[in-house]
Amino acid sequence: MSEAVIETKDFSKTFGFQKALDRVSVMVPAGAVGLLGPNGAGKSTFMKCLLQLIPYTGGSARLLGGEVGREGREIRRRVGYNPEQDCHIPGMVGCEYVTYCAQLCGIPFQSARQRAHEMLDFVGMGQERYRKIDTYSTGMKQRLKLAQAIVHDPEIVFLDEPTNGLDPKGQSQILDLVQSLWTVHGISVILSSHLLHDVDRICEQIIIIARGRVLVHDSLARLKSRRKGAAEVEVASRADDLRQAFQRQGWPAEVLLNGRVKVEHGSQDLNPLMELMTKIGICPLEVVPSPNALEEMFVQALETAQ
Amino acid sequence: MSLHDFRYQHWEGRHCGIWRRRWVIALNGLKACLDNRWTRNLVLTAWTVAMAAVGILFLIGQLLVPDSIAYDMMKPLGGQTRGLLEGLKMWLTERPEISVRVAYNMLFYFFAFTLYWLSMILTALAIPHLISRDLSSRAIIIYSSKAVSRFDYFLGKFGTIFGLLSLVWLGPVLAAWLAGNLLAQDWSFFWHSRGALFNALLYVTVSMLAISVLSLGISALSSKPRMAMSYWIAFWLVGDAIGGAASITRFLSVSHNLKQISLRIFNLGGEVQLAQEAIPVLKGIMRSPLGWWLEAPEIGGALAALAVMLALAVIIMAQRVKPE
Repeated sequence: MSEAVIETKDFSKTFGFQKALDRVSVMVPAGAVGLLGPNGAGKSTFMKCLLQLIPYTGGSARLLGGEVGREGREIRRRVGYNPEQDCHIPGMVGCEYVTYCAQLCGIPFQSARQRAHEMLDFVGMGQERYRKIDTYSTGMKQRLKLAQAIVHDPEIVFLDEPTNGLDPKGQSQILDLVQSLWTVHGISVILSSHLLHDVDRICEQIIIIARGRVLVHDSLARLKSRRKGAAEVEVASRADDLRQAFQRQGWPAEVLLNGRVKVEHGSQDLNPLMELMTKIGICPLEVVPSPNALEEMFVQALETAQ
Repeated sequence: MSLHDFRYQHWEGRHCGIWRRRWVIALNGLKACLDNRWTRNLVLTAWTVAMAAVGILFLIGQLLVPDSIAYDMMKPLGGQTRGLLEGLKMWLTERPEISVRVAYNMLFYFFAFTLYWLSMILTALAIPHLISRDLSSRAIIIYSSKAVSRFDYFLGKFGTIFGLLSLVWLGPVLAAWLAGNLLAQDWSFFWHSRGALFNALLYVTVSMLAISVLSLGISALSSKPRMAMSYWIAFWLVGDAIGGAASITRFLSVSHNLKQISLRIFNLGGEVQLAQEAIPVLKGIMRSPLGWWLEAPEIGGALAALAVMLALAVIIMAQRVKPE
């Protein structure tokens, strides 16, 4: 496990009498991390306290090795933030805005302008970058927010609901980009979302927060392995034959409305499943292991907390 | 993987210092302000006033030249005005070290105070671009997530309004002094008028500092840019309306307070007395209702009132400008 990018100890934040963060202690290594929780759980507060957008009220935290609360400017130079809300500087055109954001992080103008265009290319913005931001659609604004968050080449980027308001195609593109930030470019990603599918798709580690407390913090693979083995199998035909074969094996199975066969095989891996399908001569198009594991874990964690 | 991924490259340059980042904020605000046509027109007006001041300084210089255009211009003038110019000419010739100082001091007092009104109008136009719009568009979150602190943000915004005021106030004053002396008959004018330049710079700088901080405070009052502009106009005009009163409420007027400071800095009463002693015709001209020139400025009250106003402005900024 690599060095921790986030390290908190009894990290707390209260608004009046309400505890938004209740003695949060985590050690998060570099990677793609999903921050899950219901609305009002404290996800955004956790990120904002780490970024020092709001002051924390107790405990201590280190971000990229720097002490939160003391080395604010220096830490933020190495950190990117994609806020949930729609926020921009009015009257500016897209490429000017991203250039300006890069300059605010200390990148000289010429390099900032070049980086801005590279990042706007990266997030898939075309000629609209020369239009005023005030005229942008929600999707364009989301892309612009991502561009400004990474224009200064941060070591870690905090993304707060980055796919909000996007159509399915746009969501998929943005998630691809976010995934590549860690897998290809080595930039750690902290993705806050209540969309489990988004987190499941790109994150390696999961932190589940509810009522200001961390309920679960582990790698997604390890969490899934703890679940009872289940899978969804997509076949071109003979779905019913496959269901019967599974049931003969003693595994509960059903054909879903989308034509897939859902089976609870109870194993840690898919080998018994594949062996059975080979034996009966059915070639699957796709096998999705533990399709709803994250959702089930999430619900279970919340129930435990309550 | 996305088709765009190959375009991402890590950046390995050298970062600029914090002053550069503050400068970027100031410059960006200045650009936004100058995008407004009315702002540009006001800047132009200020420089036209400066040219007029240069013209007057040129004519004063020409009084030392026996066959200059100034004498041709004096010929059709009669009575008191001619007497004034003749007296000024004699005074300039005999006691240039005092006459130049007094003439420049008085001219720069009126010049600087004329530009004050332009600066107040210009500030009204600039108010929305300072903090108000950043509050309405939540740009504060963006600033706060970058490598600048709240103090850096304030300093940058202060740079914006101070830079803008420099364009209509400090710049024209400096340019008028320089050009006026370059066009003067005698190079000694530079030396004799140094006091007037110092007074003008001191007054203008103090006023610009006060107006800049006050405008930032008022801009932070509302997240609606038009509302913030209205607050500034109300603060200025209502303050001036009650500024004429004899009661202590006159110190609520920023114009009144700055005028007291200017009277103290330029020491206009002393300068007028000197001029009256040298040019007897001035005694007739500078009687009441312009007698306030000779009154002692209420400098203590004005400074205290300004200090309270500035403290309030800083408190408003600190309270209102937060990312959440």
